[in-house]
Amino acid sequence: MASTRDIRRRIKSVKNTRQITKAMELVAASKMKKAQQAALAGQPYAQLLSNMLAALAPHVTDNLHPFLVRRTVKTRGILLITSDKGLCGPLNGNLFKIASEIKTPAKFYSIGRKGTQFLARTKRDLVADFSVQDRVPFNEVKAAVDFITKQYLDGMIDTVEVIFPRFKNTLVQEPVIRPVLPLDNLREFLAALQRHAGVVAADEINRNQPFEFEPEAETVLAALLPYYVSREIYQFVLLARASEHSARMVAMKTAKDNATKLVGELTLEYNKARQAAITQEILEIAAASFSA
Amino acid sequence: MALTLEIVTPQARVYSDTIDTVVIPTTAGEIGVLPGHISLVSQVADGELRVTKDGKPVVLAVGGGFVQIDNDKISVLAEQAITVDKIDVTAVEAALKRAQDQLKDAAHLDPAEQEHLHSLVRFAGVQLNIKSRHR
Repeated sequence: MASTRDIRRRIKSVKNTRQITKAMELVAASKMKKAQQAALAGQPYAQLLSNMLAALAPHVTDNLHPFLVRRTVKTRGILLITSDKGLCGPLNGNLFKIASEIKTPAKFYSIGRKGTQFLARTKRDLVADFSVQDRVPFNEVKAAVDFITKQYLDGMIDTVEVIFPRFKNTLVQEPVIRPVLPLDNLREFLAALQRHAGVVAADEINRNQPFEFEPEAETVLAALLPYYVSREIYQFVLLARASEHSARMVAMKTAKDNATKLVGELTLEYNKARQAAITQEILEIAAASFSA
Repeated sequence: MALTLEIVTPQARVYSDTIDTVVIPTTAGEIGVLPGHISLVSQVADGELRVTKDGKPVVLAVGGGFVQIDNDKISVLAEQAITVDKIDVTAVEAALKRAQDQLKDAAHLDPAEQEHLHSLVRFAGVQLNIKSRHR
């Protein structure tokens, strides 16, 4: 059995760890609240924008805008959204799993330091990485999106897909890969998503009335589509941030609980060892006095 | 059949109601919408959006975005939107001044940032204009 002094030292160290994880849990909790609010506030806007696009899609011919044209896919463009810092449970690992399943030729873009490190380590074709502050300013995301869409338009990549942890609730974050460009399969995708959520597609569009554009279609689409893409990806980043802080809070809470449990076990062991030592001492004294 | 109007910004859902008519500022001029309107997609300009509900007018300031009219359902996606009674003149003036100050030495800022500031200035101007006409 370990000596009482060793156990005491371990208890002290575990208590220190508990103190730190507790502090980190509190910090993550307050950041989580903010990130969740931001993500949820943006939700109706992003949703309405997708619905708008989805309703529009069948009435728009492909050649109106390069975003709508489906090309033969030679190189996929993958944007990986991860956290900058670790200690957030399996969050990033799950995303990496999806990323490593991609075997076809692909170019990678990264938001978040963890993803950049992963892509460098696995020797993927990492074209650019972007850093986005924690409060997620729209401008920073837009800069990244503009870069990627430019690559898409220049023909460097033939799709734009985003891997990110989709925020469901504090306990559940689901790693997903979402195609963003080209926009041609958007409607099917939205319908599938709604079916998945158990909702019947809101307005099964059974009318053949075409949409009017004012000013003409090219102008509106030229403004609407890039805007949609940057908004959509912005929303993904918001969700990723909410997921990150939630995952970190949960991970830290688990660590804190484990530390508490460990302290309890060690204290028990310590008391046993102490009692054993005392009993031992009494026995020795008693034996000594009998033999005298 | 009544119209439903929904005005959403990235921050919040600003307005959501059934209404009689609405006049929307677009880049191609103002459009008035009555029930039975043809399906339409247009770009929203910075300006004044006038809603009539139960014969009473409601005025909002909107800043840039898109509008979709479909089956008597109007969705306005605006960068910014605020109802006229919520416009706080002193706050808007302060924000306007801040943005203008930043723009003065904006040469070093990147174009996206400058564009953002310009849109802030424009929207502040629109708000002040509308507020001064509807008191």
